[in-house]
Amino acid sequence: MRMRPLYKKILAGAAVILLLAGVFLAELQIRKKEVVLEFGMFTGSNWDVANANSFVIIDQAIERFEKEHPGVRIHYYSGVRKVDYSEWFSRKLLAGKEPDVFMVLGTDFNQFSSLGVMKNLDELMEQDPDFNKEKYFSSAFRTGQYGGVQYALPYETVPTLMFVNKTLLTKEGIEMPDQDWTWEKMYDICQKVTKDVDGDGILDQFGIYNYDWMDAVCSNGGEVFQADGSECYFTDDRIVESVKYIRQLNELYQGQKVVREDFNGGNVAFMPLTFAEYRTYKTYPYKIKRYANFRWDCITMPSGSQGENLSQVDTLLMGISARTKKEKLAWEFLKLLTYDEAIQTEIFRYSQGASVLKSVTQSREMESIVQEDMEEGDTVISGNLLGRVIEEGQIEPQFKKYEQAKALSDNEISKIVENDKTVDSSLKILQREINSYLQQ
Amino acid sequence: MNDRKDRYVTLFQGAMLALNFAAVTLICVFIYVTTGRILEHYHARAFLDEVVTIPENPKTNLIVCMALMGTLVATFTVRQFRKELQNKWVVITLILDMLICSAAIYQLDFNYNGLLLLVFANVIAYVKDGKMKLLFVVLAIIGYLVADYELLSIYMPLYNIDDYIQYYSFNTQQYLFSIYNIILSLNIILFIVYCVYVINAQRGTIEEVNLLYHELQTANEQLKEYADMSERMAQTRERNRLAREIHDTLGHTLTGIATGLDACLTLIDASPEQTKKQLLLLSKVSREGIRDIRRSVNELRPDSLERLSLEVAIRKMVTDMSQVSDVQIYFETDEKHLKFDEDEENAIYRVIQESITNAVRHGKAEKIWITLKKIDGEILLIIKDNGIGCDEIKSGFGTKHIKERIEMLRGTVTFAGQHGFTVTAHIPIRWGEMYD
Repeated sequence: MRMRPLYKKILAGAAVILLLAGVFLAELQIRKKEVVLEFGMFTGSNWDVANANSFVIIDQAIERFEKEHPGVRIHYYSGVRKVDYSEWFSRKLLAGKEPDVFMVLGTDFNQFSSLGVMKNLDELMEQDPDFNKEKYFSSAFRTGQYGGVQYALPYETVPTLMFVNKTLLTKEGIEMPDQDWTWEKMYDICQKVTKDVDGDGILDQFGIYNYDWMDAVCSNGGEVFQADGSECYFTDDRIVESVKYIRQLNELYQGQKVVREDFNGGNVAFMPLTFAEYRTYKTYPYKIKRYANFRWDCITMPSGSQGENLSQVDTLLMGISARTKKEKLAWEFLKLLTYDEAIQTEIFRYSQGASVLKSVTQSREMESIVQEDMEEGDTVISGNLLGRVIEEGQIEPQFKKYEQAKALSDNEISKIVENDKTVDSSLKILQREINSYLQQ
Repeated sequence: MNDRKDRYVTLFQGAMLALNFAAVTLICVFIYVTTGRILEHYHARAFLDEVVTIPENPKTNLIVCMALMGTLVATFTVRQFRKELQNKWVVITLILDMLICSAAIYQLDFNYNGLLLLVFANVIAYVKDGKMKLLFVVLAIIGYLVADYELLSIYMPLYNIDDYIQYYSFNTQQYLFSIYNIILSLNIILFIVYCVYVINAQRGTIEEVNLLYHELQTANEQLKEYADMSERMAQTRERNRLAREIHDTLGHTLTGIATGLDACLTLIDASPEQTKKQLLLLSKVSREGIRDIRRSVNELRPDSLERLSLEVAIRKMVTDMSQVSDVQIYFETDEKHLKFDEDEENAIYRVIQESITNAVRHGKAEKIWITLKKIDGEILLIIKDNGIGCDEIKSGFGTKHIKERIEMLRGTVTFAGQHGFTVTAHIPIRWGEMYD
């Protein structure tokens, strides 16, 4: 009985601790009621075409996700334009407040991956029994890899196609080229259409506008950079051929520059444009605004002697923050956006790109959606062809110095094409320069 | 003297702690402020192009680092103001310090590893155990080498304070780099000065100890000399006493007898009667002489034997020995009256005394059994112990004295060194043989 005061003290202490623990748990429970998942996105299209419906797909996905996960709310910042998105996201990163799931611009992906701010998705993909990466177009899927690690999943993808001015070709008595056309065929057409129509001594009708050496390299089976960015191959004969071809085309214009206005005025036969542009300007209301004075269509890019009718594929990526505390939910939401067939089908309805899932892009439903807004007589690009162009298309290599290396080579090659330089030796010099930059 | 030393050591440690605190705070605040500036000027994307990576959250970073440094100050204070702290707690706080420093260095992405010098400094001052000290020092050195930004940034993305400094204009950069480098250098300088001081202080202590040890040895030697001298003096005193005794008794008597015998020689022809008388007188004198000698010898006997009977004296010795040393001694005899001649009693007493001393000193015995019996007109004395014994009996272990004593009484003695040490002595008895 003499110990009683001590017992009392211990009991009182225990009671206080229990009470505090109870309050703490209750507090946790209350907080648990609403988990907020932050989503980072920009407004408008990733492919610089007008898009009034950029929130529709996301809003649908959020509605579904919140229904499937009671107690979870997804919050996104609206109104960040694409041009501001990079800075906006970088600011969030620096302050340590980046969203859990977010869109990544192609120009940021390499840098952000190397910073370690993007979550390594390999483990999440492996552990998820419902996930099969084979469902994605492999080109789109590989875009999300950096240094052999999957840091992002593709959301929307866009191949480059060749715009053809049907009115001009008809006027010149030239048949519409088929899907398997070649460089020679294109050069032929270009040669034929390039002329001085009004007789003022200045060329005013041209073959092609905005076709650059990278487009040519893609369709000639060439690779400019080693995947890890350690080396470049400008002396590879596929690349040399491509540059020579571009120069040949350029020489047709006798030093004259083709500008956008020539094309918009219906005086240029070909122009590469993205699938997103194709969809935007083929449909109401934009088709009235632009290219209204001639009929046009899209086909694949012409193939070089060593390549196929392929082009560069551009993909919008989405990733998870490496520091997220809601890994599971973030993964579920990312999967819903990029892997769910219903959501991915909405891309054809409300956005301008193509779905990254093979089954969606190659479906009849996709064709009927695309058909809806088009005029009769316009050939709708078939799902299979679109699928092949995406699947086999080239992606931009993912390494940290890519953007700068590409800018340097663009600059140098445009000099080679425009000035009277020997292609072979100039490319050798360029290769040396770029390699020394890469190995710095 | 030691207090003053301790105070300086504490002062140095405090200074190092303050400097490190300042360094960590400056780095965190600098990153926090610079981030704010970048955001304010909308340079975020361009800045990200220039860096390897960025801290998770500059604000959290600042708070976490401040908390860690605060804990470091707390453990330091506990060590300084709770001097009575047990060694165990000092070690625990030091290990805690090590963990906190590691955490802070990790939190700073290895941009500042000067904190390890702080751990070093504490280890040098507090850890006295040589092996522990070595272990801690090796750990700290490995830590210092491994926790290097340049080395680790090869293997993992780490943010770099230089990237943040380079955000500013060139002039500002120069100032910032100087401040940063001054802090780094100051920390190292402080650490070196501290080490030199502590090593010097410890060397001073070692010299003091050596000096004291030397003095102690001198004193010890002097003491030994005194002991030797006093022993020699006691011997001399005893010798003088013996000489005096002999002179007083034996000399006197023998002189008397010699003179009387001379007189007898002169008298014997003239008066045989007179001579006879004279001889009787001489006989009496010589007997008195013997009595005197016996008395003198008696005075040289062990104290207890002089006063007590042999058995009581032995029992007293056994009890005394048992009390002063941790041995159990069993004495056993079947003889009712242990009464022998004095020299025999002396011998028995001394042999027992010597054997016990040997058993305790050389044999490290815990138990000793003493048996005293009379068999066939002989005294059988057995002293046995459970000590370590010895394989080979060497003279000089006190056995020589025992042998001499027994042989003086025409007895025999044997020694056995297996299973403890056993002394067996047979002494023939001269019952009733009397001088008078």
